[in-house]
Parts: sequence; C-alpha cells; structure tokens
Amino acid sequence: MLKKISRRNFMVGTSAAIGALSLGAPAVLGQARQKVVVIGGGPAGATAAKYIARDSQGALDVTLVEPSTQFTTCFHSNLYLGGFKSFDDITHSYAKLPDYGVRVVHQLALIINRDRKNVRLADGAELPYDRLIVAPGIDLKYDSVPGWGREHEQKMPHAWKAGPQTQILKTQLDAVPNGGVIVMVAPPNPYRCPPGPYERVSMMAHALKTSGRGNAKIVIIDPKPKFSKQGLFQEGWENHYPGMVEWLDPAIHDGLQSVDPATNTVVTGFETYRNCALVNVIPAQMAGKIARDAGLANDSGFCPVKADSMQSEIDPNIYVLGDSSIAFAMPKSGFAANSQAKVAAMAVRGELTGSRTFPARFANTCWSLIDTDDTVKVGAHYAVKDGKIAPVDTFISKTGEDADLRKQNQEENLGWYAGITTDIFG
Amino acid sequence: MRAHIFGMCAAAGFFVSGGASAEGDIALGQYLSSECVTCHQLSGKSVGAIPPIVGWPSDQFIAVVDSYRKKERDNEVMQTISARLSDEEISALAAYFGSLKAPDE
Repeated sequence: MLKKISRRNFMVGTSAAIGALSLGAPAVLGQARQKVVVIGGGPAGATAAKYIARDSQGALDVTLVEPSTQFTTCFHSNLYLGGFKSFDDITHSYAKLPDYGVRVVHQLALIINRDRKNVRLADGAELPYDRLIVAPGIDLKYDSVPGWGREHEQKMPHAWKAGPQTQILKTQLDAVPNGGVIVMVAPPNPYRCPPGPYERVSMMAHALKTSGRGNAKIVIIDPKPKFSKQGLFQEGWENHYPGMVEWLDPAIHDGLQSVDPATNTVVTGFETYRNCALVNVIPAQMAGKIARDAGLANDSGFCPVKADSMQSEIDPNIYVLGDSSIAFAMPKSGFAANSQAKVAAMAVRGELTGSRTFPARFANTCWSLIDTDDTVKVGAHYAVKDGKIAPVDTFISKTGEDADLRKQNQEENLGWYAGITTDIFG
Repeated sequence: MRAHIFGMCAAAGFFVSGGASAEGDIALGQYLSSECVTCHQLSGKSVGAIPPIVGWPSDQFIAVVDSYRKKERDNEVMQTISARLSDEEISALAAYFGSLKAPDE
C-alpha cells in the first residue's frame, strides 16, 4: 500500500536528520515540504503521525518525537496485573512507523517556541514546524497526596504511566500475603481512564484469589462520591470476590489525611491503615509539562481545543490530542486519543495540502475485565454540537447480564486491543 | 467543520487511488473507515471476536451495517457506530473496504 518513491525521501537516518537540523540546513532539493512535528508517541501522537504521513503520501514531512523506543500501553496493563497478559504483550515498538513515512526521533522534546514555530529537543536540536501536534499524555500532581511525592513512587507505586511502574506494582502485588491489606488511593476527576482504578482492583483481587490469597483485602479510598461503571463493578466484586473489596466514598472515609511511605500507613479521617501490604497511590493529574510550559493549558491544567478539529484554542498552529486535551464529553482513554488523532490528522492535511475534509466524528469504548470471561463495556459515538464534542449515541453493559454476553465482551476486548495497537503502531 | 473547506482537489491527499467508485465515495469511505479500523484490521486479520471486513461485496457490506443501524443485530458497539451513518456514508464505507484485498485463506 505504500509508495516506494516516497521512501527515499523519508528514510534518512535519524542521526543524520538531527545533524542537518542542528546546522540549520534548509531543505536541499526541490520544493520544501511543509513540516508536521508530533510530540508524544502514545495512542494520540503515534496515530496522528502515521495517518498524516501515510495519507499525505510524501507531501508532508512528518516527525514523531518520543524519548522511549518502546511503548507500554496503559490499556490492558491491568490484564498484566491480573495475569491475563505478559508485559511483552502490552509493549510495542515504533519500528514500523518509518514504513509509512514517519521519521521517529527518540529524544525528549524540551520546549515549544511558539513564536519561532520550533521544538527544542534534549540534545539541543531544533525542529521547525508548520503544524505541531502536542500529545504528551498526563503528568502526575506529585503534591496532591499529603506525605507522598515523586521520591516515593518506588515504595508506593502509582503505575498510572505504564512501564517500569507497572512492573513494580506487579512485584508488590505478587508479594502480598494471604490476609494482607492493599490500599488504593483513587484519583479525583479528571484523570486518565475513568474505569481504570476499578478494573485494577478487580484484577488485583483475581490475582490474589487464584493464588490462594483470598483472605487479602483491597480498600479503595476514593475522593469521588461515585465512579465509572460503579454498579457493574460492585456487582462483579460481590459475585467474584465477596468480602475482598471495600470501596469507601468521601462521606465514609472522611477524607484522606496522609500517607507514610516509610511505614506503609494510610490515614483517613475515619481510620488508620498500618503496615499495608501494598499502597497504590494514583494522584491527581494534569496535562504533560511541555504543553503547560507552552501556555497551551488553562487554569484546569488541561488544554482547551476546538471541537471540530482538536486545534488548540490558544495557538492555531498547534493541535492538542489525547489526555492533555479538554475533549468536552470524551473521557481520557487510549480509544478516545486514537479517535481524536484521526480527526486532527484529517484537519492538518486539509490545511496544509488542501485535501478534502469531512465533519468530525469521534468514538470511544472502554472494556473492563472483572474476572475471567466477565467483561463489561461502556461506549459512545460523538459529534460536534454547539461547539462541543457531545455524545450522540451511548451504551453501557447492564447488571445481571448473562455469562455468554460477558464472555463475548472479553473476546471483543482482545480483538480491539489487537486492532488498535495495529492501527497505532503496526 | 466551519473552518475547513470541502476542497475539490485531492490528488496528493489520498492513499487509495483508482478513481471514485460509481456507487460509493471512496475518499469519504476512507475517512469514515478510520473509526472501523480501531477494531477491524485493514489487513483483514481477525483477532478475538472482531471479524475481518475487507474485500466484501458492496451489497453484503451495506446489508450488514444497515442491520446494525436498525438494531436487528445485537452488538452495542456496532449499533452505536452505525446509528448515525447515512445511506451515502454506508455506501462509501462499502466502496472503501470493498476496494481492499481480503487476506489469503
């Protein structure tokens, strides 16, 4: 499906390209192609880079800036915790993106200079852009949980950015004794993956129960009075893990007072949990630093965008995608990020090459595995209404559904994972 | 999409060539297909409960999507995705996916 002729232009080595940019060398031959730079190689950024490069067929110069050479997906990282997937299963390389015409630069993007329209990388190189796509994901608010900070993320892992943190959490979970107490400090809205903490609790309970540790207990200290798919999760916990999961809303725990990583203690207004076997602190979140530093975020800590294109409300040369954006009614999810990327890719190509554009459409579905073959889902299709991304059709699993349907949901969940990771990286 | 012009020229923009289908608008279909390929792989590879949808005859493709749109078939994800598709859009999708090669079995 790829045109060979365009590859000659694209397949310059990364180091050579950076060298030329460092020297400020102009495009050498023929008409200079307009430049699209994408910051962040997750479901938003990698999808956008791939779609823009592939569909512009060499008309645009597309560079993806991502420090890591591999990407571990947050989605399905809970299935790794539950023992349903290996770490390799949820880890993907960027090796195929050059085949579509994307130049992948494994550097940290440090600063966006909006006036000069360039991005400075950690090695000092500057990448000029005509359009910039900013998709750095979330940053954690390390000061949002009293007693906990970045220096404690080994002892009390968050595992809310997948990778080594996910493996630390798994190691600690594996060491929880039968009868041990796990405390999860759940995050306030808005945060990445609304059902994620509760699927995680389900997968922890599954791992414990299936390894002879059914007397362990998981306590969720939640700052929210309700949560995503609440009825479905609570029914599932009752059915599969009776007595193992205790969810406490703020009216019951009376507020998280502090945590003490040295002694694995969690203090709420209602009770003190000492010598916990595992404390999973998922703090409050905000847009990635590079987006905030560039002034693309508002007081909420996230970045306002136009509903029809994901173009920044602050800078028309920039598009903000995925978890860093304020995407109206859409949740912060990998599915949503991938969906937004396709709308933005179309809009950017339309602006730079005059290709046809169509009305924006967005979609999201979140599957959550509660126990073997018991998967629930929530989803929506979105369109632009009154300048906002609004759901036009929605669905959610129902309590009391039969087992065949839940099993079918899990088959769908596995097929979706294969599909979306191929769409992003394949 | 007030900011975007429904441009007439598209020569450089498309990765599917071969001209418009007499039945469905392939360029529109390619854009709409980006929603489908989140689950259904372009290669036609099938994993889990996600079936392949490439290389189907147009009328068959249209009939299946239409049956989800009318909620005659059960899957809620498919019902939701197809609910707002117009006849023209379903034809466009059929033309686009029909233009792709089914995997060798």
